[in-house]
Amino acid sequence: MLSFLPQLVVSGIATGMLYALMALSMTVGYRATTVVNFGHGDMLMIGAYASYVLVAGIGLPFGPAIVLAAALLFLLGAAAQRLLMQPIIGGPHLSLAMMALAVGYALRGVARIEWGNDVLKLPRAYSSGVFVLGPVVVTTDDLVISGVVLVLLAALFLVFNVTAVGKVIQAVFQTQRGAALVGINVKAFHATMWGAGAALGAIGGVLMALIVPLTPDIGVATLVRGFAAMTLGGFGSLQGAVIGGLLLGIMEKVLGFYVSTVFIDITAYLVTILVLLIRPKGLFGQHATLRI
Amino acid sequence: MRVGRRPYWLIPLLLLPVPLFLDQYQQYVANLILVYVPVAVGFNVVVGNLGLLAFSNVAFFGIGAYTAGILMLKLGLPWWVTVLPAGIMGGIAGATAAVPALRGVRLFYLAIMTLAFGELMRWVYIRWEPVTGGSFGMSVPEPSVLGWALDVEARKFYAFLVLVVLMIVLTDRLLRSRFGRAFVAIKGNEEAAAAMGIPTDRYILLGFAWGGFVVGIGGSMYAALVGHLSPSSFDLTELILQFAIIIVGGLGSLVGSVLGAALLTAAPEFFRDLPGFEELLFAVLIIVVILFLPRGLASLLGRVHPVFNDRYFRE
Amino acid sequence: MAALLELSDVTVRFGGLTAVDGVSFEVAAGEICALIGPNGAGKSTLFNAVAGNAAISSGRVLFRGDPIHRLAPHEISARGVRRTFQNGGLFGHLTALENALVGLHTQIESGFFHLLLGAGSSRRAETAATTRARELLALMEIEHVADHLAAELSGGQARMVEIVRALATDPPLLLLDEPAVGLAPPMRERLGEIIQRLARERGIGIVLIEHAIELVMSVSDRVIVLNYGRKVADGTPAEVRADKKVLEAYLGHA
Repeated sequence: MLSFLPQLVVSGIATGMLYALMALSMTVGYRATTVVNFGHGDMLMIGAYASYVLVAGIGLPFGPAIVLAAALLFLLGAAAQRLLMQPIIGGPHLSLAMMALAVGYALRGVARIEWGNDVLKLPRAYSSGVFVLGPVVVTTDDLVISGVVLVLLAALFLVFNVTAVGKVIQAVFQTQRGAALVGINVKAFHATMWGAGAALGAIGGVLMALIVPLTPDIGVATLVRGFAAMTLGGFGSLQGAVIGGLLLGIMEKVLGFYVSTVFIDITAYLVTILVLLIRPKGLFGQHATLRI
Repeated sequence: MRVGRRPYWLIPLLLLPVPLFLDQYQQYVANLILVYVPVAVGFNVVVGNLGLLAFSNVAFFGIGAYTAGILMLKLGLPWWVTVLPAGIMGGIAGATAAVPALRGVRLFYLAIMTLAFGELMRWVYIRWEPVTGGSFGMSVPEPSVLGWALDVEARKFYAFLVLVVLMIVLTDRLLRSRFGRAFVAIKGNEEAAAAMGIPTDRYILLGFAWGGFVVGIGGSMYAALVGHLSPSSFDLTELILQFAIIIVGGLGSLVGSVLGAALLTAAPEFFRDLPGFEELLFAVLIIVVILFLPRGLASLLGRVHPVFNDRYFRE
Repeated sequence: MAALLELSDVTVRFGGLTAVDGVSFEVAAGEICALIGPNGAGKSTLFNAVAGNAAISSGRVLFRGDPIHRLAPHEISARGVRRTFQNGGLFGHLTALENALVGLHTQIESGFFHLLLGAGSSRRAETAATTRARELLALMEIEHVADHLAAELSGGQARMVEIVRALATDPPLLLLDEPAVGLAPPMRERLGEIIQRLARERGIGIVLIEHAIELVMSVSDRVIVLNYGRKVADGTPAEVRADKKVLEAYLGHA
């Protein structure tokens, strides 16, 4: 039985990469505005549909389609933040949560009206296959997903830690009031970061559409997993989001195999509930997340 | 300014002849509205009065519905006997959902946790197949009250009306008392509420449990109305409907709960064959109300005539 | 006579930071005791420790001879230690009258089930409490704003409502956290008179945190000076004024 473990971990890492990207894209928007985007899953879904239209409809090659979809979602995310969230940003948290949720539902409604509940399959730009590496089998999908996410992570790491812009962003994450004092346009910053989150989410959506049938409802399940990964890693922590996502992916596979397949569905819920009850800071949370 | 005791009891009296003017289908819609009144009233206690970001209302609703359905189908109990147990199970679910709040979890974290709780319950309905019927759901036997079969919609209307009036009256008493003031005090400033001698944890538990109880009663009505329960009735689309009802109606207002239920419950019926429009409509309504009418339609009605101003607090 | 409030060797630590360091003092009934000191001296933390909002690391807090430092804030409040808050702390969604009614919360005898059943006793308790709350507002001469939202009150009115709310249950001990902040001079004077009347006429023990030094010196029986969490002076206003350590605490020294 134990001999399956390496395979489970490898498959878990591949899905975990997706969760990591999801959690990271949510964290970027959250760190900028301290508002959780409950509509983020649907941004991801729209990103996947956008690339579907670009690839299957217009016939664009896969690479440019992803970039264009990400750009579109950047605009969508930034516009949603600037036009709908920013006017109520100091208001009750309920309004903020509901506004984001409502934006997500609107996107889902539009997707259902446009594409119905039909299951669409994103055409691949490569032939799918498997590689056998000793005891483990790796699919090309796993490789593509992991590869794209790793490249994105590396790029983000460089942006955040090496470039001047990234250092400014990190500084603004630390103190918003300070940012306003040194002349950074906080409103524009909020919108840009939500846009960046949506664009990252869109790439996640495209990758997800490689392995999951595309429907207007794929955003919800992913949202919950993104939350679980963020909570596990420590809400608001960038590296925590990545590690939380990877751990969640592995846990789903391992629990699903050794305990019961039902765990594949509910690991995310259980992780969210247990972590917030037992260790609300998560693994890498800098501050207690309670009663903020 | 406060208006004295209002003749609210006239409203149910005026509603008595309503089924006479409606056809079978319209009666069904009227009953659906009655189902959603307690669902909204209970939800509003937690979100509007207590001010906590709880996304678990659909779980209380589903647990109430399944409790009634299971007791009728598996134990052969008549519907009216199952109403109170459904409420109590809803209340227990409410108390359970309050646990993270009692541990100090607030705001978005509370929303995420209670969302997870709600989704977990839906998973239970699907997986606990021998009892719940799994994904295909379960058929609920014909409801009855004291041997009187609720075999036509009009009869259900009167049975539901009694429950709805009861839930509104009880919740109104609660909100007008020191309990209701304590809820709003906690919403405003928990530390100051505790400094006034209010055991805040106990009141948070009470608010959740009462909300869950009232919503659970609504669930038992739902089971009686639709005759078939399936997990897909308690998903996130249902959550947005319930949120839309209390936000569009007016947070923290009983009149708002009733108004929201009356206006929005019927809406999905118009979009049955148009997938997507329901979600879009609720989303747009919520967005517009949050931006332009934060206190909901109830505040408009209050401007028309102070009779409609049921003020437990004001924003 | 036993002290109303007795702090002995109270220490409060947050992580590695010692906010209050071995502070001891007593407050008698009818005594006005001011806590002063520079920002960050530990005054508010000490208040929070007495009111149950901050856990103490060592030492004891006794109220009427009983330890209260392990009790929850609402239990301490119910025993008769009531407080106001630095930044208002009124319930903005409620009216002035309703704020006073929340102040009376523990004295309204209406059980949950009695209330749901519409028992006459619940209704009578509610009516009696409302009458009482109106009397209390009248006593502070703010009955005309009874039905105004707390969020819409002026600074002075809000302060009066907060004091009414805290005093609603006739507590033996009142903790006032910077009550004069934001008040115009005439209003400050009135506040000073009210504080003195509460102590002299009703025998309420009062602990006062205040930066308005002239108010402190004119109303207090005793002034305690804190610096870096430690008590550096304790005496009558005149004694404290003459104390060199106090000057140092305020002016700072290397």
